[in-house]
Amino acid sequence: MHLTSNGRWSRLLAVAGVGLLLTPAAPAHHSQSEFDLRAKVEVEGTVTKLEWKSPHGRLYVDVKDEKGQTVNWNFELPSPTTLMRRGWKRDALKPGDYVKVAGAPARNYPAIAIATSIKDANGNALFTGTTQIYEPEPEPKASE
Amino acid sequence: MTSALTSITRRARVRIDRFSRAARCVVVMAVLGACPTVACAQWIGYRTPGIPRTANGAPDLKAPAPRTSDGKPDFSGMWFANVPAKDYCKEKDCIQEERMAREQINIGIKLEGGLPYTDWSKEEMKKRREHGGRDDPHTYCKPPNFPRAWTLPQYIKIVQTPTLLVLLHEFNAAYREIYMDGRPLPDNPNPTWNGYSIAHWEGDTLVIETNGIRDDMWLDIQGSPVTESARVTERLRRINFGVLQVEIAVNDPKAYTRPWSVTIEMAVQVDTPMLEEICLDDEQDVKLYK
Repeated sequence: MHLTSNGRWSRLLAVAGVGLLLTPAAPAHHSQSEFDLRAKVEVEGTVTKLEWKSPHGRLYVDVKDEKGQTVNWNFELPSPTTLMRRGWKRDALKPGDYVKVAGAPARNYPAIAIATSIKDANGNALFTGTTQIYEPEPEPKASE
Repeated sequence: MTSALTSITRRARVRIDRFSRAARCVVVMAVLGACPTVACAQWIGYRTPGIPRTANGAPDLKAPAPRTSDGKPDFSGMWFANVPAKDYCKEKDCIQEERMAREQINIGIKLEGGLPYTDWSKEEMKKRREHGGRDDPHTYCKPPNFPRAWTLPQYIKIVQTPTLLVLLHEFNAAYREIYMDGRPLPDNPNPTWNGYSIAHWEGDTLVIETNGIRDDMWLDIQGSPVTESARVTERLRRINFGVLQVEIAVNDPKAYTRPWSVTIEMAVQVDTPMLEEICLDDEQDVKLYK
């Protein structure tokens, strides 16, 4: 089911603070400290673009904020290589599709996040395979 | 009359021709619609020919390691860190994990006591952590340097000949050559991302020696160094069809107080091709750091 062009928009739901997702688990292949992995944003809106490029796919979503203005969110996804191997096709989400997306926001820029969960209009979850919390290793100690 | 007849005949012939073309199109479309196996095979799941399979057609991962015509273990195939994907669920919300080796964060994560860093290394790693890992060469789309490359979340394809082992890495369509023709390691090599590698057999183990590694490379996300003074030894053993064991030994007096080694297991990947992942295509993360 897709929203019509006059379809429903939803307010941005921002859940800031310590929304600890999960216990530390597998890492990303590079540090993702540009995102606040302990915070969480949740949005609903309409897909404007699914960017199918390396090193990260990107999902762009138009979301209405509290003031009723439309903000275009940029959600980072795994690489298309990973997405394809986990069931995505490059037309999995099309402009105009309704989505509900949760993510860890970028620390220094608004409306950018790394997706941790994506659900389509039917409530089906799409693989995001995101990094969980990356805990920096403690300071290295020299062995005796 | 004759010209009228000719005209009618010509129009009829054109109609027949068009009908024939249309008919041919219909036939072709019907054939395509019926989907012959070759034409319609999903390219991403194309079956790998010539591999051991169980009765139900699945790859037989426990089958013996294949051998080359000269009796050596054959490492040819596509490989990925042997890490099962897990789902993490909080109530009804589940997050599927992206399969990645934890050695990506710390290549010595399974080493008792951790990696034996020198004081120089500890200082270097402090600097590397300063901007939250922003300066990681991997973030800047630099090559997937070995031995770090074994831990990255892209596939590695090994192509084996009697005198050369070629490793193809999906990240940036990179390659690595390992010479098995008896040549020695070079003196004073030009430092490169992969270094210069030679190998020889010790029974069923391929022993790879590498020097000429660049000074500014990271072995993992936390910035474990490896320098020009390093001699890296990798020992490859194919345990069975499904598993390639890679023992990585690093002897780098500038960066580590003593030699150390870790073992990583790679799982064979079949019925799928290498996929291109060119990092500079649309890299957007670097600008997000401050």
